[in-house]
Formats: sequence, C-alpha cells, structure tokens
Amino acid sequence: MSNDIHVRVRKLVGDLVPTGVRKVAAADRIVEDLGYDSVSIVELALALEVEFDLSDIPEEQAMDLVTVGDIEGLVSRLTPSQP
Amino acid sequence: MTAPTAPTAEPRTTEAAEVIDILGTEGTEVTDATTGPGRDVRAHRLPGSRDLYNRWEKQQWSIADVQVHRDRERWLALRPFARGQLFEALAELEVGEVCVSRTLSGLVTYAPNDADRIYLSTQVADEARHVQFFQDYLHFAAGEEQTISEAGQQGEDSAYGRLFEPRLRASIDRVGELDGDLTAWHIAIIEYHLVTEGELAAAALHSTRQLARRLELTALQEGLGNVARDESRHLTFGLAVTRRAVQQGRAQTVYDVYRDATRLAARVLVNPERRAVAPALPTALVQRAAQMRAQWDLTKDRALRQLRLIGLPELHQELAVAWEDACTRAMAEYAEIWGAPHPVAKVAENAKGASIQ
Repeated sequence: MSNDIHVRVRKLVGDLVPTGVRKVAAADRIVEDLGYDSVSIVELALALEVEFDLSDIPEEQAMDLVTVGDIEGLVSRLTPSQP
Repeated sequence: MTAPTAPTAEPRTTEAAEVIDILGTEGTEVTDATTGPGRDVRAHRLPGSRDLYNRWEKQQWSIADVQVHRDRERWLALRPFARGQLFEALAELEVGEVCVSRTLSGLVTYAPNDADRIYLSTQVADEARHVQFFQDYLHFAAGEEQTISEAGQQGEDSAYGRLFEPRLRASIDRVGELDGDLTAWHIAIIEYHLVTEGELAAAALHSTRQLARRLELTALQEGLGNVARDESRHLTFGLAVTRRAVQQGRAQTVYDVYRDATRLAARVLVNPERRAVAPALPTALVQRAAQMRAQWDLTKDRALRQLRLIGLPELHQELAVAWEDACTRAMAEYAEIWGAPHPVAKVAENAKGASIQ
C-alpha cells in the first residue's frame, strides 16, 4: 500500500473526528473508538471522494469498513497506483 | 367578556400532552388550563383561544436575552460541512417564517370570533419575533450579510418558498375574496397551522435543534427552544379550530385539504428540483439516506397524529398511503430531472437487490 495514501487517509480521518482533531491509528474503529456518527460519516465519505477523486465505489468493495485501516485498504484499491 | 382562566398546575390531558410532545418542546412547561375540576374535559380536551392567549402572556421571550452573538466564535470554528448543513436548515426556517408572517394577517382579519382574532393577533407578534430571531442569528452568529428572504430569493432557493408558499398565499387570498367564508378560512388554517407549522416547521425545528445540540451552539439551542414553544401554541390553536370544523360537519373538506397539503409537504421534503448529497461510499450513502428518511418519517408521524387529534382517526391508513405515494412520485421526478435515483430510492433499490440475491 502506498505510504502516501496511508498518511493522507489517517490525516483526513483524524481531522474530521467529531470531538476534535486527533492522531489516529490503523486499528482505530471509526464509530466505536473515534466517535463518528451518521452525520460525520457522510462528511468523511465526501471528503475522501474529493481527496482521492473516488466515484462509483462498488458495494462489495466497501463492505465491512470498520477501522481506519479498512478505509486505507479501500482507497488504495480504488486509486490508480502512482508511477 | 370571557373571564380569565387562572394558571393551573393540574395534570395535562393525554391529548394536550400529545400536542406538546408532537412538537418536541422537551423541557417546556405548557400547562393545559382547561382541565380543572368541574370542567367538562371531554368537551375541552384541547385548550381554547383564551387559554392560548394566557399562555402567550406567560411565555414571553426576547431575542436580546438570547444573545445570538454568543455563537459567533463557535460558528467560525465549525467545519464547512457542518456549517453548510446548519446554514441550509436555518435559511429554510427563516424563509418559512418570513412567508407566514406575510400572510397571517388575512387569517386575523376574517377570524370567526373575537377570541380567535385576539389569539391570532398574538401569533402575528410571534411570527415577527421568529423572523427577527432567524435573521439576527444569520447576521450576527453566521455572519451573513443578507438572508435569502432579504435578497428576495425565497422563490428560487427555498423548497417551501417555491412549492408550498404559493398555495398558502392563494388560500389566504381566497378567504378575502369570499369575504371571510368560514370554510375558506378553515382551509387556510389547515395549510398554515397544521401543515406549514405542525408538519414542516416542527420537523425542521426538531432536526435543527438536534444539530445545534450536537454542534454545541448554545444561543441557537435557546432560541430554537423558544421558537418551538411558540409553535406549540400555534399548532394547538390550529388543531382546536380544525377539530371544531370537523365537528361542524366539514370533515370531508378538512380531510381533502389536509391530505393534499400533506402530500405537498412530502414533495417539499423530497425537493426533487434540488440535487441531493449522495456519497459514493455505500456505507455513507446508507447513512445519508437514513437521515433523510428519518426526517420524512418524523413528518409523516406528526401528520398522522394530528389527524387523530382533529377527530379523523379512521383515515389514518389512507393518509399514510397518500404520504408514501407522494414521496415515491417526488423521487421519480427527481430521477427524471437528475438522471440518477434519489439517494433514498437508490438505497432502497440496493437493499431490494441484496435481498433477492
């Protein structure tokens, strides 16, 4: 996985934590550990789309997104690898 | 002259409590002054106009006391997404208040008796205060130079201003054209008090208060609480006079108008002419659709409960079907306009597809 994606996803997720900006780890769970609620999840999804130019994400690829690491994996699969 | 009703701490009737609950004015003490010993509670289960006037005297508040500028710092610290969501909700509420403040005087002029006229005059003052509150908040907390209404753009930028206000205005104009015809007056009351205030404004206030709490905007929470308390009186008046119309033999007209206006309220909520936020990430799309659906369901529930309170419980199922049909049609219209399904329809289709597989 590209280190750049890994860093950018963690920065974005950490910046949008509802209780305030914090450092996040791959194992942090989005809802249980970071406190994301339904509104902030939508906000995060829209921010990810803009940041990584994502569109038409197949449902089967986006199932079971529980942790920050899961999001990193998804973005990495959907983002063309850099030369 | 009717003797003033003394303030009472007696228990609320079930129906009066339900009216309070329907608006979500939690923490607001709205006493029912009509249920004291010796009164015929069956005949007076909803407060009368004089009782509502008395409440109005006791429930005064001022915008100056709310100090909207308290929220400025917090507002500036909000992230753009939250700020955008809240701004949109406040702008829609402001447009709604401006629209009703411009039309209410027609209902005052042709009120069928003095008690109703005097009560409605208090409501004119309330609506003016609500407009001023939302405009002050948008100016001094949100930092907007001009609101949608001040810019004269409610017809373009607000679903209520575009879809519902013209109907309400026409109904109120008709009351004047028919020289105060009582049926026309009741029709306007249904569209104003039961649908605009009891369905659309109440649901919008509920969700905006939740957002204000979540975002820790204390002045906004306080101001919206005050507005919700006022709206509770307005709705109670609407329910009482509409029930009176039902009892006077206008049940079919009442239902027809209420059903059609409620269908239009569903269209306002779906708002097909406006592109909805639809995240590409399926998990987020489901959340977004659930938020929208929750708002629609809340409004539908209010519409159905009001139907019972005005004395037409037997039409519950029919209205529920009419509501769902209006939502489905509005979503079909959305798909036609935007070439893509509405987020709520898309999630429903996905869920249906998954259950078939």
